This record gives sequence, C-alpha cells and structure tokens, in this order.
Amino acid sequence: MSFDILFNQFMSGIARASLLFLVASGLSLTFGVLRVLNFAHGSLYMLGAFVTYSIWKGLLIPVVGFYIATFLAALVMGGIGIIIEFFLLRRLYARGWPEQLLVTYALVLIITDLVKLGWGGEFLSIPRPVPFKGAVSLFGFPFPSYNFFVILLGLALVIFLWWLVYRTRIGDIIRAAAHDREMVAALGIPIPWLFTWIFVLGAMIAGLSGGVAGPYGAIALGMDIEIIVECFAVVVIGGMGSLPGTLLGSFIVGQVYAFGIMFKPELALAFIFMVMAAVLIIRPWGIFGRPER
Amino acid sequence: MKRIAVLITIVFVLSLLVVPMVMAQAKPTPAKEPAKAPAQAKPVAKPAAPKEPIKLGAIYCFAGPCYMYSESAINGIRIAADEINAKGGIMGRKLDVIVRDTEMKVDVGAREVKDLILREKVNFLEGPCSSGVGLAMQVVHSEYKVIRVTTMANTEGQVVDKFTPYIVQIVPNTYMEAKAATRYLHKKVPTAKKFATINPDYEFGRREFAAFKEEITKLVPDAEILYEAWPKPGEKDFTAFITAIMAKKPDAVHSSLFGGDLVAFTKQAAPYEFFKTPFIALYDLPVLLALGPDAPEGTFGFGRGCFFMDPNPKMLEFVDKYKKVRGAYPDSWAVQAYDGVYLLKAAVEKAKTSETEAVIKAMEGISIDSLRGRFTIRPLDHMGSVPCYQGTIAKDPAYPFKIWKDISRVPGDQVWRSEESVREVWKKTGVVR
Amino acid sequence: MVIQKMEQNESMVKRGWWLILLLAGAIIAPHVISDFYLVILIEALIMSLFALSFNLLFGYMGQLSFGQAAFYGLGGYTVAMLITKVNFNFWLSLLAGVGVAGFVGLIVGFFCVRLRGIYFAVLTLAFGQLLFVIIYKWHDFTGGDDGIQGVFPPGILKIPIVYYYFVLLVFIASAFILWRIVNSPFGHTLKAMRENPERTEFLGIHIARYQLITFVIAAAFAGLAGALWVPFYRSVAPFYLMWIKSGEPVMAAILGGASTFFGPVLGMFIMTFIHAYILGFTHFWPIIMGTIILIIIFALPGGILEFAKVKLKERQERMKSAKGSP
Repeated sequence: MSFDILFNQFMSGIARASLLFLVASGLSLTFGVLRVLNFAHGSLYMLGAFVTYSIWKGLLIPVVGFYIATFLAALVMGGIGIIIEFFLLRRLYARGWPEQLLVTYALVLIITDLVKLGWGGEFLSIPRPVPFKGAVSLFGFPFPSYNFFVILLGLALVIFLWWLVYRTRIGDIIRAAAHDREMVAALGIPIPWLFTWIFVLGAMIAGLSGGVAGPYGAIALGMDIEIIVECFAVVVIGGMGSLPGTLLGSFIVGQVYAFGIMFKPELALAFIFMVMAAVLIIRPWGIFGRPER
Repeated sequence: MKRIAVLITIVFVLSLLVVPMVMAQAKPTPAKEPAKAPAQAKPVAKPAAPKEPIKLGAIYCFAGPCYMYSESAINGIRIAADEINAKGGIMGRKLDVIVRDTEMKVDVGAREVKDLILREKVNFLEGPCSSGVGLAMQVVHSEYKVIRVTTMANTEGQVVDKFTPYIVQIVPNTYMEAKAATRYLHKKVPTAKKFATINPDYEFGRREFAAFKEEITKLVPDAEILYEAWPKPGEKDFTAFITAIMAKKPDAVHSSLFGGDLVAFTKQAAPYEFFKTPFIALYDLPVLLALGPDAPEGTFGFGRGCFFMDPNPKMLEFVDKYKKVRGAYPDSWAVQAYDGVYLLKAAVEKAKTSETEAVIKAMEGISIDSLRGRFTIRPLDHMGSVPCYQGTIAKDPAYPFKIWKDISRVPGDQVWRSEESVREVWKKTGVVR
Repeated sequence: MVIQKMEQNESMVKRGWWLILLLAGAIIAPHVISDFYLVILIEALIMSLFALSFNLLFGYMGQLSFGQAAFYGLGGYTVAMLITKVNFNFWLSLLAGVGVAGFVGLIVGFFCVRLRGIYFAVLTLAFGQLLFVIIYKWHDFTGGDDGIQGVFPPGILKIPIVYYYFVLLVFIASAFILWRIVNSPFGHTLKAMRENPERTEFLGIHIARYQLITFVIAAAFAGLAGALWVPFYRSVAPFYLMWIKSGEPVMAAILGGASTFFGPVLGMFIMTFIHAYILGFTHFWPIIMGTIILIIIFALPGGILEFAKVKLKERQERMKSAKGSP
C-alpha cells in the first residue's frame, strides 16, 4: 500500500472528523457547563438540516443562499434552544441528571415526529454551494473542496470556541461554572442565564452543523440517531466538556473509522465502541477531561 | 451586558417567527391530503353494502428511511381500494384498508401483525418496508394462517430460505434484481473484470451482493472482486468508503445503495470523479428527484418499475390518477402496492371466497395485468414473475429531473431462481412442500 | 408503640389484600379480555420483568444503565440459537439464556461498577452498543440484521393462554426473589451505599463487590425477560440489543416511580397498553410518548406510584389529625 493511498484515506478521515467535531463540540460544551447529556442534540442537528433546506429553497438566492440559510437555521435552532432550556431543563437542575437526560430523550421522540409532520420524511439534498463544487488535487488524487470547507469551518469553530472559553470574561465564568457552580453563583453571576446562553450556543452549533451536512450528504429522517451515538463516542473519548478533548476525540473516531473501513470493513464500527469502552475503563473522564470531584 | 442579552433574545424570537413564513412559502407541493374519492364512491358501492367487507391490513414502517416509501405505498393502496370500491368492491364486498405502523422495529412489527389479525380480523396483509421486520412477521402471520403480499421488503429469504405458503412476493426479490442488474452492467461494460461492491450492511444488501457474486462469476469466469464495502444502513458519510474503493482501481462497481444513503453517496463521490468508473445502484425516482442536477449522467440504475421505466398506457393512467390525488409523480413503491391490491382482488374473485386456503390455491399460477405488464405467480414459491428494470441516467426535456434512457425490462421468469435451485435451498433449510 | 405496630400490621394486611386482588385479577384476566389484549398482557409482563431488573440498578443501586437491553437481547439470542441451531431443550435454553446474560453481565459489570453517575450510564451505553454491533456484524454466526426466526416453544406453550400462565408464574417468582433481595440486609446495604458511599466504605463494606453482584443479578433477570420474549414472538433480531431498547425500562421506571418496587411495573404496563392502543389509529406514537414523559416529569415528579404514595400519606395524616382533635 503506497503512501498516497494512505494519505488519501487519512484525509477522508479528517473530513469525517471535522463534521463530527462540528456536531460534538456543541454537545461537549453543553455537557461541560450544564452537566446535561443532551440526547436531543442530534435531533437539533437533523432539524437544522431540514430548516436549512426549506429556507434555502424559499430564498432562491443563487450563490449566497445556502450560507444565509445555514446562518438563519442556526438562529432558529438557537431560538428553539431558548425554549428547551427555559421551559424544560431549567426546572430540573435541582432534580438530578437522570430526569434531565430523560427530558432530552423525550425531545428526541418529539422532534422526530415534528420533522415527519413538517417535511413528510422525503430525502432532500442541497447541491454543493458555488466556490466548493469541484475538487482539488492532492498527490494526484482528487479531494472534494467542500470537505475543505467543512474542515475550515471546523477550525474556525475551534478558534472561536477557544477564544470564547479561554480569552473572554464570559469564558472565565464558563470555566469557573463548570468547575464550581455554587462559587460562581455566590459571586453574583446569574447562573441560570449563563446556562441558557450556553445551551443556546450548543443548539446553534447543532443547527449550523445540520446546515453544513445538507450539501455534504443527504437530509433524511433518522440522521439524528445516526449521529448522536458517534458524538457520544467522540465526547467520551476526548473528555466530556473539554474542547481540546472533543477535537482529539473526533480525530480519533474519524481515523479509526476511515482506516477500519480500509483494512477491516466489517469491524470498523465495532472499533469505535472498543476505543470508547477502553477509554472509559482506563480513564473514565476521557483523555483531556478532569475527574469529577 | 443585560441590554445586549435582551437584544439577542429579541433577534432569536423574531427569527423564530420569520423563518416559518419563509419556509411556508418554500413548500413545493401541498402535503395536505386533498379530499379523496370515497365520498363519491360510496353510493355506487351501496347495493352490495349488506355483505361483510374484506379487510386488508397495510402494515408498513413509518420511521427513518422507510417513512417515505411507506407513505407512497399507502397512497397506492388507497387509490386502488377507492377504485375497487367505486366499482362495487370485490364480489360485491367493500374493501377496507387498515393501516398499521411497525416503527421499523421487529418486535413492534410482530405485535402489530397480531393486532391486525386478532383485533381487526383482517383477511389479508400487505407490507412491510424493512426486510428484517418482514421475516419476523412471517412467522407470526403464517401461524395464524393469514396471507401477506410483500410489495416492498424484497429479501429472497421470505420465499426461499424461510418459505411459508402464506407469503406472496410481487417485488423482484434480491436474487432476481441483482442478477438482472449484473447482466445489464456486464452488457454495458463487457470488458470489466475487476469489481468492487458497496452494499448496505443488512439483509437486503447481503443478499444483493451474494446474487451479484454468483452471476458475475457466471458471466465473467475470471472476474475478481477486489473490495467489498459494507456501510451501515443510514450511513451519511461515505468519503472513507469512496477513497477505499478508488484506491483499488476497479473496472466497475456494483451497489445496492438506495434512498438517502445513495443521495449522500452520489454527492460525496462526484468530486472524486468516481463516476468515471461504471457504477450501478438503485437510482429510482425519489433518489433522482432529490439529486436533481447532481444525478450523474451515464451512470446505471436499477429499479422496480415507475412511469419512466415502463411507460405503458395503464401506468400513465395511474400516474394521472396519482398526480390528481397526491400532487406528485408516483414512485415504484406506490406502483407495487397498487398492484398488490389488484392481485388480491383477482385471487379472491378466482377463488370466489376470501377464505385463506382457497385464495392460496387461486393465487398459485394466477396471471394479472398489472401496471408493470402481465405477471404470473409461480405455484412453487409464490414468487411473481415481475419485471426488473435497468437504465442509464440521462436528461429529458419533458421532465424537470433526470430520468433513464436505454431501458431494459427483464421479465421475472428470466432471472428468478430455478425451481430445482429453490428446492435445493429448501432441503438445507428444512422447508417441506 | 403498640398502636404503631398494629397499624403496621394492618397496612401489611392491606397490602396483602391488594396483592391477592391483583393476583386473582391476573388469573382471571385471560378469560375476560380479548385475544389481542392477552398478547399485550404477556408483553407487559415480560417487559415489566425487564424494567424490574433495570430498576434494581437504578432505584436501589442509584446507577442508571443505558445498556440493559444488551442483556435482554443476549438472553433472547441464546435461547433462539440453542433452539434453532442445535434443537436444545426449551427449559434448559431458558436457563442458558439467563446464564449467558449473567456471565456477560459479570464481565461488563466488572468495568462498569467502578464508575458513577453519568459515566456509568455512558459506559453501559458503550458496552451495549459494542455487543449490538458484534451481533449485528457477525452475520455467519448470528444471522446479522436478519435475526433468527422460528424459535418455537414446545407443545402446549405455543398456545398464548398457556404461555401467559407460564410467564405469569415466572414473573411472580422473579418479582418475589427481587423483592426479597431488596428487602434483605444485602438490599439495605445497597441503599445505604447509594445514599452515602463514603460512609459505607468506612464500615468495611466493599462497594464494588456489592455493586457487581447486583449488576450480575440485574443482567440475569434482563436475560430471563429476553429469553421469555423471543419464544413468544418466535424470532429475535439485533434491534433487541440497541440503545433505543435500553431507553424503554428507563422511561418505565421514571413513569411509574423508580423509588418504589412496583413503580417500573406500573410504568411498563401503562406504556405497553397505551402504545398498543394508540398505534391502532396513528403512527405518530413517538410524539405522544414524548409528551407523556414530559408531563410525568413535570407534573408528577418521582413517578405515578411515588406521587400516589405521597398523596395517600398526606390524606392519612390529615385523617389522623382530624381524629386526634375532637
């Protein structure tokens, strides 16, 4: 097996990793601060994809239509995030995580049916947007330029989140709240509102990644369940709530899958869960996570 | 700080209000069910009213990727039932359709079949979408001695490995479909020797692959399968599979991907110039509709019979009816479900009763004129000689989406498993007949 | 003191009456209800056993498992494979199903019991999915996505009503065993560990060992539920091991009340019957189930049975105070 073939496979692993990172970063962020394992994150991703499609179709703006639609879809998901956090999750922070988890599980069921009601479950597809239609050449192999877009977007999100978490005052509060909620509250910072905004940010990231997934693949029912378990794997491997962890986690899952497909296709999926279980056994809080007190 | 927060909140709320409006504008087709025919149909059926209706349980999978197919099938069934009832029903008996959902779960499917049989007391069953659910159901309805016509789940297991007399298959099964598709691929690229395959990793994909392998080694004795890709059904990221296939440089690629998975695959494969390699997959109407301009011209497709595959007068008439009711083109899933209802009608009329054993007798060897032309049910394994279609994707000015040209229609009896072969499998699996 | 004791005895008798009434109802039920609801009743009983096994972990050990379906499915697969492939004795197959589930539970549990809270939930989810993928992908051995069909129980057990009495018997016996376990010193230790792990550790109790034993028991009973289900529907499929299936007992426990012994049973009965009823006229079941969960969580915190218990206690106290003040 020559180098260029391996490199090419590596690059497709990277493309998969960046899409996974886009989705999982929102999940990880929500978990890190709110300590809510959000099953509905995948559903928001799916809903984001469908909403993006409808807005794109409704706007009918040739070149930038898709980008505007994705942005608007992210906003809509943010709005839905407000509703979910404000009316549901907020009332449960005192009651323990199993009930929160079940609420997000209920949302998975509800959102699936809402999508069925709204779009009828057709397969939809958005053509790739203009500057990213073709492919570029890498070692003589073509590489889809849209994958570059996804990778770039993933990188941009990394930088944005890194800036937000490590370089701003809000970031200080976020990190402090993830560490010790009561302490931050005692300092007079309105924790409930902080939680709302973090959840909204997570939901917006879900919507954004759903929009990006439209031209990447297909928009169809069931994409919520497909993505969420893999995102759990990413977040668990990297460490729940850790940004560098999520980056590493998606890299590992993407590569394990890509090379699994190349060398042992029938076990590619099992490898991911093996890695996940191994990490949980050796280092339950993940590679970059911190053990809970 | 607070003011900004309030401002952002307002923006969000506004976006929530505005976007649905944009989306409402964007709605392409009226999804709402328009008023349907039965209202007018009733008076005609009235004279026969005192007779007990015949009940048909339509059990499909309204979840995930199956949702759309199931909706189509139900539409086809309802149109057929309304037509039949408008003309006085079956032997003067009204045809009632009762719809049930399996949620694409085997346990729910098995239970809902029991529900249809025990509570609704249906005479016949039609469905489901998922092959796995179909196999689980078959054990149950065979025990209760109720016939099921399978119009969508097409695993050969239902009529061959796990045959029971209570099943009738009028969708080309995995064996026939893959055999016919392989022949088409071979006809188009006779020089191809090195193949790669990509099939969804479940019952359907496994069987299609097995049939492809069997047929290609017959056609090309020195054929070689370089790589088998097995993405899970529902996979939406095929990049790694695509690069892995291309790394092997095959002469042609056989696939049984379908639906949303095929849409995703096609879009991801195109930038790699994957479609320079001859490729065949289940490019039927919904996939071509979703892909729009992205559908790869010159690539081969196979399918189970919709209007552009078989534009006979009867089919075109059905297209008009369907468009009137649903506002869209019918896909092959609606066509087959429609045919299923008429098959039952023909069998009941031949048997002159809806009693199961008599209908099975009548069904064996029956021929009907369907939307896909005339086909016959083989007495041995209850497999219909339904045609398989293949074609090459091309533009057509008459339609806003791409369709096929160079269409080949392979009658089922040319590709189905020979009776000896069926008996051989039965010997292994213990089916006695 | 004496009065209190008498009251306690009285309540015991009362509770006993309830059970006898329920039992009588359960025995008569198949002769009263229609064929279809008999099927649903069998389903509800088997699934209740599954929910009880889950609640041993959730309600008593305080750990939420999101991989319980893996053991349920393993029990089912063991029975299916033994019966269809080697024509094994039905009763021994059931036992083997329990054994295999328990054994795998021992291995999985060994790793899981060292974690708490959300990590426990995620690790059980990971192991569950791993087992699911193995069964799904191991086509030659397990039949892959196809599953296994034709798993028939022997003789008269093929008749639903007979199978019902058989399941009822197994259910009562299992519920009794589980009831004894949670009310034994072992069960009390378990609860103490849930409330205060550090203190119990100080008392010289090896938490991990206790939890591992519980995990194995729960896995074995989940396996029993699966082993009962599969011959009833004559088939098994990998879906039985999937995480979505693991969500069902979680919902049942929260619905009925995880802190009570029979809460999950009540929850499962409600879920099964409503599901069967609603699928009769709509395929929008998920949205209804989702809404029910939300309503229960927000309106009846702690579940239906817990809510009823609290209300009953309030009423009793009110009556007592009314009696006390002439």
